[in-house]
Amino acid sequence: MRNILTITLNDLRVFFADMGNVAGLVVLPVVLTLILGIATGGGGDNTVRLRVDFLDLDNTPESAQVLESLRNTNASLYFCPVDDGEETNCRLEDDETLTLELAQQRVRDGISEALIVIPAGYAEKLQTFEPVAIDYYSLADAVSGDIVLTALDAAVLEVNGAIVAAQVGVQIGDNFDPESDTPIFEDDATRAEFSQKVYDRATTYLAQQPLTIQYVVNQEVVENEISAATAGFGQSVPGQGSTFVMFTVMGGLFILIRERKQATLQRLVIMPITRAEILAGKALTYFTLGMIQYMIVFIVGVFSGMDFGDAPFAIFLTMVAFVVCIAALTFALATRISTEGQANGVSLLLSMTLAPLGGAWWPIEITPPIMQTIAQISPVYWAMSGFKEVIFYQGTLTDVLVPVGVLLAAAVVLFWIGVRGFKYG
Amino acid sequence: MQYMVEASGLVKTYKRPDGTEIEAVKGISLNIQKGEIFSLLGPNGAGKTTTISMISGLIKPSKGDAKIGGYSITKEAIAAKRLMGVVPQEIALYPELSARRNLEFFGQLYGLNGKELGKRVDEVLEFIDLSDRQKDRVDTFSGGMKRRVNIGVGLLHRPQLVYMDEPTVGIDPQSRRRILDTVFKLRDEYNMTVLYTTHLMEEAQELSNRVAIIDHGQIIALGTQGELTQQVGEEDRLLFKVGTQTIADALLKNVETTVESVTRALYDAPSQTTDNGGETIPGMITVFAKRGRKALPHVIRVLNEADIEISSVEVREPDLEAVFLHLTGRALRD
Ligand SMILES: Nc1ncnc2c1ncn2[C@@H]1O[C@H](COP(=O)(O)OP(=O)(O)OP(=O)(O)O)[C@@H](O)[C@H]1O
Ligand SMILES: [Mg+2]
Repeated sequence: MRNILTITLNDLRVFFADMGNVAGLVVLPVVLTLILGIATGGGGDNTVRLRVDFLDLDNTPESAQVLESLRNTNASLYFCPVDDGEETNCRLEDDETLTLELAQQRVRDGISEALIVIPAGYAEKLQTFEPVAIDYYSLADAVSGDIVLTALDAAVLEVNGAIVAAQVGVQIGDNFDPESDTPIFEDDATRAEFSQKVYDRATTYLAQQPLTIQYVVNQEVVENEISAATAGFGQSVPGQGSTFVMFTVMGGLFILIRERKQATLQRLVIMPITRAEILAGKALTYFTLGMIQYMIVFIVGVFSGMDFGDAPFAIFLTMVAFVVCIAALTFALATRISTEGQANGVSLLLSMTLAPLGGAWWPIEITPPIMQTIAQISPVYWAMSGFKEVIFYQGTLTDVLVPVGVLLAAAVVLFWIGVRGFKYG
Repeated sequence: MQYMVEASGLVKTYKRPDGTEIEAVKGISLNIQKGEIFSLLGPNGAGKTTTISMISGLIKPSKGDAKIGGYSITKEAIAAKRLMGVVPQEIALYPELSARRNLEFFGQLYGLNGKELGKRVDEVLEFIDLSDRQKDRVDTFSGGMKRRVNIGVGLLHRPQLVYMDEPTVGIDPQSRRRILDTVFKLRDEYNMTVLYTTHLMEEAQELSNRVAIIDHGQIIALGTQGELTQQVGEEDRLLFKVGTQTIADALLKNVETTVESVTRALYDAPSQTTDNGGETIPGMITVFAKRGRKALPHVIRVLNEADIEISSVEVREPDLEAVFLHLTGRALRD
């Protein structure tokens, strides 16, 4: 074990002796991750439309009026199931109807940002001026829930204003005799007295607040929403991270070929150590460089305020599996490659094809289904699916076991090829 | 007496890219005694490096085996490797690291650490006379300095046996002198056994207790210098450098028959050095004569009559070069 560490430490020392290597490890990956993260939504002020469930149990023009007011106050909200469509997907199954129970669950699961329920008999109660409440559900500290609530507040204010005006109008109407020919106001004093009366009445009604909002805040599930920062960087951080891990680790090919050329690899072979120790030392070098590369890019994510989900260990495990897989791929390639030119060409070609193919540069979901199938030959696909499971879908360790398993299985095969055909001279 | 190195029946067959095979070493057996300097002398491509690679555990012999201090290099590789230090023909160092770092790294792999490692590295730096440059990156060193570090790495763990594969190639005469003195020091002061390969007759002659002459993958002669030169008798050699002129066989015959005491005249056509330097080695006529100095003016006269321009003349007494020439009919030239 000591010999392995000695070899790895020495390799790292050689690697970091070259400032070009350090720049390659930090500058380009960080810059690209930032640019792509911001471009795809991480900047914060792009229009992410929020999904809100709107359950109308009254089905009257009055209840429809609430929805209309909501739309007017905030155009970035869309309402399910009424708005279900291509761009405003409600994530409802075809035969699914939105019941109160389902809607509540959707809020808890973070599928919808909030739920607004108009109770049955809403219109009737308003007309008879009985108190009535709209039920509002959201998660305790969901920022997006606040946005919905603000819109609802404004809408209710509007509705209440209309009711008050209607009530006052009715009352005032009672004071007049429609048949009378006399002018409405005999003098200025009468007019002023009337105005005062209307004003007092309106204030009274308004204070009574016929329509209120009843908050049903769910405390159990916290922070389920995907923020704009997460939407952008959640793609670019693992994507660029994986791309540059490929670059960096496959750059190990170059290191290996140079070591053959400068005969230090041969020198290692004649040392009193085993060949297994030499190979393990090189493998540990690749692994360390790959993990350093991931860390650098993920730190960009941390500073951009992206949300990594609740399973850091699952993310770590996915990183480890991917780095091990690429290290194994590098060993396998090393059996076929003998010049530095070939090494550069092959590592560039493979990173530049496997990374976008596997969904590192854009979300794989936007590609045609056939591409999503082909993508599975790329290790990047599996790494990305592991990362996304945790970052976007609140996945835990169990959710990344499949991608991690696939990556490690590939690694075993590739290592076997690489170790069997390893060229020392 | 137990030998330091016992190689028996070593064969190495390489596959060329086109599928054909080349037998680089064709069955080499040799024993090296403890405390001697043993040279492998042979021209470029003779199989010296291939032989050393097999007995140092770098490559696997296609056939045969070697024992180092009693340990088989194929079956007890680690134990065998602990006894040896290797100075490869190529400079095998990390150019980005300092001389000291290089020595420390390889020292660790030889099992040294802590104070002991520091002490040995200091000693070696002293020995190769680079203490003042130890902190500098190797890629800022001259060729000769790199060679010295390359040698130093092989000495870190005070091995009983040191392999040196053409350690003087491509360096200036001063540095070469220094390295040759180092080899003596290893034997005389440190009691080490040295296996030294070279294609330079003078080096083998100066250094070795015993020499094996190797050509085309085979040992064609082995013994002390006295034993070897005896094989060629007492003849002197006259060497005439003749540039790029063509020499007719008839002329050589003429020299052999008309000049007294001459037994043989040979011609080596001019050739290109194998190094990418592209330097041309001039053609050379070698004349064997029982009394060289007496025959010299007569040979010159014959050559003059044939309008051959002679650029230099040398008279050599029996040496390893003569042995090689005698056995192969070719000159061993640098
Ligand atoms: N890896 C290899 N593949 C194929 N042929 C090889 C290989 N290594 C050496 N050879 C061939 O084996 C023969 C012996 O080479 P070797 O390097 O042992 O010679 P050498 O005596 O050390 O020569 P030099 O003085 O030039 O170092 C040469 O013909 C060489 O071309
Ligand atoms: Mg050689």
